[in-house]
Amino acid sequence: MNTMLANLGLHDTDHSITGAIHARVESARFATTITTLVQTHGLPLSLLYATDERAVNGSYGLHAVLAHNDEWLFVSTSLPEQDPRYDSVTRTVLAAHWYERYAMDMFGIVAEGHPDPRRLVLHENFPEGTHPLRKDFAWNSRLPHAHVPYPMHHVNGEGVYEIPVGPIHAGIIEPGHFRFNVAGERIITLEGKLFFTHKGCEKLLEGKDLPSALPFIERVSGDAAASHALAFCQAAEAIADCTVTSRARDLRTILCELERMTMHIFDIGNTIGNGIGYTVLAAHGFRLKEDMMRLSQLICGNRFWRGMIVPGGCARDLQEHDLDTIRSTIGHVYADTCHLFDMAMSSDAVRERLETTGILRTDAALAYGAVGPAARASGIDRDVRRDHPYASYPNCPLRVSMQTDGDVLARLLVRREELSGSLAIIRHLLKTLSHGPVSTPCTPNTGVGVSAVESWRGELIDVLHMKDGVIDRCVIRDPSFCNWPLFGEIGPGNIVPDFPLCNKSLNLSYSGTDL
Amino acid sequence: MSLSAFLIQGIVVLLLAPFSTGCARLFKARLQGRSGASPFLPYVRFATLLRKEMVIANTTSWVFHVTPIVVVSTSVFAATSLPLLSDAGAPGGLDNFIVFSAILALGSVFLVLGGLDPGTAFGGMGSSREMTLASLVEPAMITTFAAFAVVSGHSDISGMLNVGGAALLQYPSLIISLVALGLCTLAENARYPVDNPATHLELTMVHEAMILEYSGASLALLEYASSLRLTVFSLLIANIVVPLPLFSAALSLPSVSVTIAAAIVKLVVAMLLLAILESSIPKMRFYRMQEYLSVTYFIALAGLVFSLIPLS
Repeated sequence: MNTMLANLGLHDTDHSITGAIHARVESARFATTITTLVQTHGLPLSLLYATDERAVNGSYGLHAVLAHNDEWLFVSTSLPEQDPRYDSVTRTVLAAHWYERYAMDMFGIVAEGHPDPRRLVLHENFPEGTHPLRKDFAWNSRLPHAHVPYPMHHVNGEGVYEIPVGPIHAGIIEPGHFRFNVAGERIITLEGKLFFTHKGCEKLLEGKDLPSALPFIERVSGDAAASHALAFCQAAEAIADCTVTSRARDLRTILCELERMTMHIFDIGNTIGNGIGYTVLAAHGFRLKEDMMRLSQLICGNRFWRGMIVPGGCARDLQEHDLDTIRSTIGHVYADTCHLFDMAMSSDAVRERLETTGILRTDAALAYGAVGPAARASGIDRDVRRDHPYASYPNCPLRVSMQTDGDVLARLLVRREELSGSLAIIRHLLKTLSHGPVSTPCTPNTGVGVSAVESWRGELIDVLHMKDGVIDRCVIRDPSFCNWPLFGEIGPGNIVPDFPLCNKSLNLSYSGTDL
Repeated sequence: MSLSAFLIQGIVVLLLAPFSTGCARLFKARLQGRSGASPFLPYVRFATLLRKEMVIANTTSWVFHVTPIVVVSTSVFAATSLPLLSDAGAPGGLDNFIVFSAILALGSVFLVLGGLDPGTAFGGMGSSREMTLASLVEPAMITTFAAFAVVSGHSDISGMLNVGGAALLQYPSLIISLVALGLCTLAENARYPVDNPATHLELTMVHEAMILEYSGASLALLEYASSLRLTVFSLLIANIVVPLPLFSAALSLPSVSVTIAAAIVKLVVAMLLLAILESSIPKMRFYRMQEYLSVTYFIALAGLVFSLIPLS
């Protein structure tokens, strides 16, 4: 690591970020440095984000987070307040695409030469020059209604037909607009327009202390509440330098794996059941998911695995009878799910719909920086639980599930294998559960902490900047943010009626992207 | 067919139509482990829809407004003219199989126009798919009935029932045609594996996409028309397999009541079979439809060819 950095003329300037190496470059070299690190050294770009440091040093900060073995490497630069511009990273590293557009919208930092400098988060109704994450923008500002163009891509030609879908859909899902250009039934291009219900979480978190921030974090994406809480708490604990007890680590791991099981069961039922109309799997898949949600109700007092993971450990200890309920519930739920899955897989008609549908090629997955089951189904060996071990994973039997075909079936098989993996982890932890307290005091004051968690959807990263005990900037990077652009790659070549199937096989969160 | 037989059949089939859809839904729910709604729920739904206000796009023309009436009329025509309860032929040979196919095609054409008329993306998509399917289903349908016509020596469907029931064993080629008729029925009624009547996924719809812009009474008419069409086809196939008991032109209370009871049983059995089919297979990929419908056509053609070969 150090020789690699030395070769690039970088050095670990300060130790301001707990548990990560931090290098600074001047803005002119930012893009080339990231490009070398990604392309020559093969470090995946996990996050690119901006900070408003005008009050401190009259500049904007731009930070790239890359994974190197089990360490995080931060490469930061400063951009002058008057003219925050830098050379776009996207020109050479595609994974930076949405991050740079996000920073352009939210901070007004211009990535020069960005191949697609359209707005991303801010729709037509936001006036020009509005940058909500700048410190001088009040969270409760009322803006005049504007009409700034937000053009979508068009394809011209004989018989080319454009289908707008959403933002309101026939099912009960969140808002998202998809624009298909099709020739007959074949998709030529597919583009999404998201960010319809921006919650302003990042802005609202600023100035909050940990206890009042946690409810926001748990509601970033309702289906990954435990993972989001864990990532946030671990980042805070890194700043506070507090060590969580081993029993709390075990319980946290169990909760996150239970969440993974819940959602993988839902995905299997939803993809096969609703996606291709093999309705039995939907009916029974949702019944089993309901069993898991009731287990959550019993353990956490709510149906979404919320409220248990808090800074410093767990909110309460689990009693022996709670553990027994977990043991018996996951046993029968797992057995039933396997039975259903095998039944579906023994049907040629089902496999015929899943195979070769929505292929994500390995090189595309790498270029876009895909994460989670979507990446692993395309042959990318990436799993935070192994690569950046946290909680009790170092002591658990963990096998990274991989497939190489990259189609809907491959993504389902990865989920099916991960379900077995989660079961093995939970059973192992229930057997070897540590004893002792579940909570330690955690009062972070000032500093920067980073934490990654492998949620069921993929790599989830939180970077927490704290100042005097309150949050200065909290970056939440939900795995959906990395995977949404994949649709442009997965869709084309498929037929329109197969798109819902591709969509369900990724099952991305609108809410997690639209912070 | 006497006027009274004609009226009784029409009224009974028209009344039974929502029940058959309700049955199919109930059986599907039960087979999937759900408790399901009452089979009489569609009556309530139609009554609710009829009372609701209609929201109609400004871009529509008269075609959009006429469509529900034309479509429901074609289904009512089929329900009254075909030998569903009475084996007496319709007056003026109106149950001729060519007339029947043409009337169904008329309904499809208007449905397609109604889907295109508002100029929305989904309507156009559904219409384009419906046209693709219809152009493949119609030949298969005509070929199937042609086989029955050849064997029975009648071109009206009531005459074809003479070779139904036990007589089918005498003409094994007709069993092939019956299979083709079953496959055509699934495609004509937008059921599995061609279309999913229960989906909420706009992008995969065929029939539902075309009627997406309709609301209120128009929607009620269109949904009723598809219920009726399903009932007509189910009773028709049931009558070819079991052409008893049907009342004749000379009406008597016992024969009419037995026929009505038998029709209900036939419908329930048909809906159960449909529910089993729809619960055990997934919907086919849209580009596999032409394979499904080509197979249907060739089965129908085989039935016709074997019917033409003298057996003795």
